Amino acid sequence: MHVNYWTELKKDRKGRTGLYMIGFLLVVALGAAWIAPYDPWAHVASPLSPPSWKHPLGVNDVGQDILSELIYGARTTLLVSVIASAASTLLSLGMGVMAGLFRGVPERIVMRLVDVMLIIPVFLVALLVAAYVNPGAFTLILMLSLLMWAPGARIIRTQVLSLKWQGHFTAARQFGAGTGYLVRHHLVPELYPLLAVNFIQVVRRAVFMKAGLAFLGVFDPAQKSWGLMIHYAREFVFTGAWQWWLLPPAVAVSFTIIAFALVGYSLESALDPRLQKGSTG
Amino acid sequence: MLKVKDLTVKYHPHSGAAKYHSHHDHITVLDRVNLQLNPGEKLGLVGESGSGKTSLALSLVGMCEGQVQGSIKYKGEELLEKTPQQWGRIRGSRISMVRQQSGEMLTPNLPLLEQVMEPYLKDYPGQKEEARRRASTLLQKVGLESSYFQRYPYTLSGGEVQRSLIAMALVSDPELLILDEPVSSLDALTRSDILSLLDEVTREQNYSVLVISHDLDTVARLADRTAVLYCGALMEAGDTKEVLQDPRHPYTRSLVRAYPTLEGIKELQGIRGEFPPPDNRPGGCPFHPRCTQPLEICAHKRPRADIIENNRLLSCHRGGVIELLRCRGVTQRFKLEATAKSSVSFGKSTAKKQLSLEAVKGVDLNLHEGEVYALLGESGSGKTTLGRILAGVDRPCSGEIHFRGNNINRLSPKESKKTRRYLQMLFQNAGEALSHRMAVFDLVAEPLIIQEIGNHQSRKEAVNRALQWVHLPVDEDFLHRYPHHLSGGELQRVALARALVLQPKVLVADEPSASLDASVQAKIVKLLLQLQNERGFTLVLITHDLALAARAGDRVGIMHEGKIVEEGPASRILRHPQHPYSKALLQAASSSLFTSSPQKAHRGGFSVSFPV
Repeated sequence: MHVNYWTELKKDRKGRTGLYMIGFLLVVALGAAWIAPYDPWAHVASPLSPPSWKHPLGVNDVGQDILSELIYGARTTLLVSVIASAASTLLSLGMGVMAGLFRGVPERIVMRLVDVMLIIPVFLVALLVAAYVNPGAFTLILMLSLLMWAPGARIIRTQVLSLKWQGHFTAARQFGAGTGYLVRHHLVPELYPLLAVNFIQVVRRAVFMKAGLAFLGVFDPAQKSWGLMIHYAREFVFTGAWQWWLLPPAVAVSFTIIAFALVGYSLESALDPRLQKGSTG
Repeated sequence: MLKVKDLTVKYHPHSGAAKYHSHHDHITVLDRVNLQLNPGEKLGLVGESGSGKTSLALSLVGMCEGQVQGSIKYKGEELLEKTPQQWGRIRGSRISMVRQQSGEMLTPNLPLLEQVMEPYLKDYPGQKEEARRRASTLLQKVGLESSYFQRYPYTLSGGEVQRSLIAMALVSDPELLILDEPVSSLDALTRSDILSLLDEVTREQNYSVLVISHDLDTVARLADRTAVLYCGALMEAGDTKEVLQDPRHPYTRSLVRAYPTLEGIKELQGIRGEFPPPDNRPGGCPFHPRCTQPLEICAHKRPRADIIENNRLLSCHRGGVIELLRCRGVTQRFKLEATAKSSVSFGKSTAKKQLSLEAVKGVDLNLHEGEVYALLGESGSGKTTLGRILAGVDRPCSGEIHFRGNNINRLSPKESKKTRRYLQMLFQNAGEALSHRMAVFDLVAEPLIIQEIGNHQSRKEAVNRALQWVHLPVDEDFLHRYPHHLSGGELQRVALARALVLQPKVLVADEPSASLDASVQAKIVKLLLQLQNERGFTLVLITHDLALAARAGDRVGIMHEGKIVEEGPASRILRHPQHPYSKALLQAASSSLFTSSPQKAHRGGFSVSFPV
């Protein structure tokens, strides 16, 4: 019943690896200003110089240091996807709890909304929106969180439906607890593991989507982003530049997604006893 | 015939009669007692020792050593103004008394017959022949043959002494006979003999009788009307049968509950609190510190004795034991949706039939302050559903539940929250009712936090108190344990502490012990009943265990197919069940544990059926 998720995560090899990877990304993103050898916006060398001791990953078409770009890119990627995921998870929570607790009209509205959101091709909407609105970091966060809450809301509603008949809810209601108290002290704590898993999974999707959108050009060109890097590098594949320009951001995106995926899987198996193996390993 | 008005008796603490020394000027033993005795009537006076019964009796014959105020009118004459000489003429010939522990009243050096003659000779000096005739007739009547006439007191047994004293009291043909604990020092058989004798004699001669006793049985057998005395104040009076079978005053009820009878199966319970010493009597209603339903006024003002229906006298600010919870026509229906929806259908080909199960069908129930009501029934009879409705957990489909006169399902959210405090439920499975994310302290403090009672410090104290009530440790280690560290019994105790920390008026306990093993079960039930008595809440005990219901309940309600088919005092229901289902239940329940040949249980044609 009582699982210490943190310990479980650390015990599992997958989870541990994922945590180290996320830790590495965090250090890079937070310390970008100190780690990056150059200002990623500055023109520091002649365009398209190949890797050298001064520029380990070379220089892009406008003379910016690619390694510094990559390091600053981690910052935007993590910022956007973590905030978008947190917002989306909160939205899922709100919608799911509402649908689960207040059956009838609120439930029907929320659930039809969820159905609609699940049908909508997220990428298409994002592209359309970005075509009309300035696609900065804030817009992207807003868009991603509005587009990704639906699956989480559905899972949370189902959980609330089964949770709300548990004895300690009835008992708390018997003491005179109102809905607010019940949600805060009994419902949300019970949902913590679910929210954690949901959060991690949404981060993973957000990283992927953000990179994809940036690759399609739907992102503020003034900011550093892995997707944008791929977008620009793609035009120079005929030169040899792709080896040090295209590959590193692609690897970085995969690295991030794998990191969150590992933690997500590990958390999920810690929460669901059916996924637990006989021995930890 | 006899009218006692505002009789107050005080003793000075240093006079011989008062055993207690105190700094008070005087000790009030009787406080404004009113009594009335009609010719030929037999009045009983019941009370614990120390309640002032004997002082009252002594005042009536002018032998009270204390300071007597008020008025005692006997056939229009004021007795309190009489001189000792006048008293001498009244005693014996008009008012005669048989005293408690009265073996000492016989002179050791006179033969029995002469002793019995003595009171008559005192009133009619010289009429020795008449005295002898009367005395011998009376002695024979009380069962002492002529062989006893010349015997000396020390050769007589206790019962024989008592008989001769009765004869002595009757010899001058008094109008009023006062019996002060006439049989309390005798063994059961002799007691019964003497009581029949007294009953026979007093009825034959149509004496007016005042019986004073702490023994309910004595009073029940001799008196037509009974008055209940507590700490020198009159609590309740009325027809003996009604007073003892349907006590209205909280004190009378507790007294009856504490009295052992063969009929009663219920475990004996003392009255909560301590009997106050005479030099430290509580103000206002003397019973209020031990009462389960005191108001503020009870501590300040003596309630007036009012006549309620049927010549019943009651002195209680609350009008006697109050009705806490009353439900009328409570019905609960559950839709069996799952069955209807499980068949996948297209179009309107299958008519949607609304299947429903009526778990509770129009139940009427009254719960009184401080009583234990055992709701008995087999599984599926609807007792849990009813319990949840009573505690306000669920709303019934129809019917009304009134708590202190307010319909609990029609309150504003604020009032509803306030009412919740008084209605608590102990759920069948304690483990489920406790959130596994909270430690013991948080669990027990939760009701207080929800109800916004007190601050952190006072909550801490309240939690400690509640845990002590349920005999759980209060050390830091225990307070920080989580439910999965606790045993089943401990979980149930924590759940109980949680319910009690709000000091509820009604506690519905749903099979509180069903999930525990036998030894823990007994402990929990004992604890629950003990707490009920100490804390004075109304307990609804839901159980399928007949033996438990009988031992715990003041009243038992038997539930069958959503209805309460029979309801009444536990002893009556279990000895003389009326409804065929109750009979079947009793027959099935007779435990085979201690009988050599286990009988096969018959359901008597009763079964639980679901309308599916």
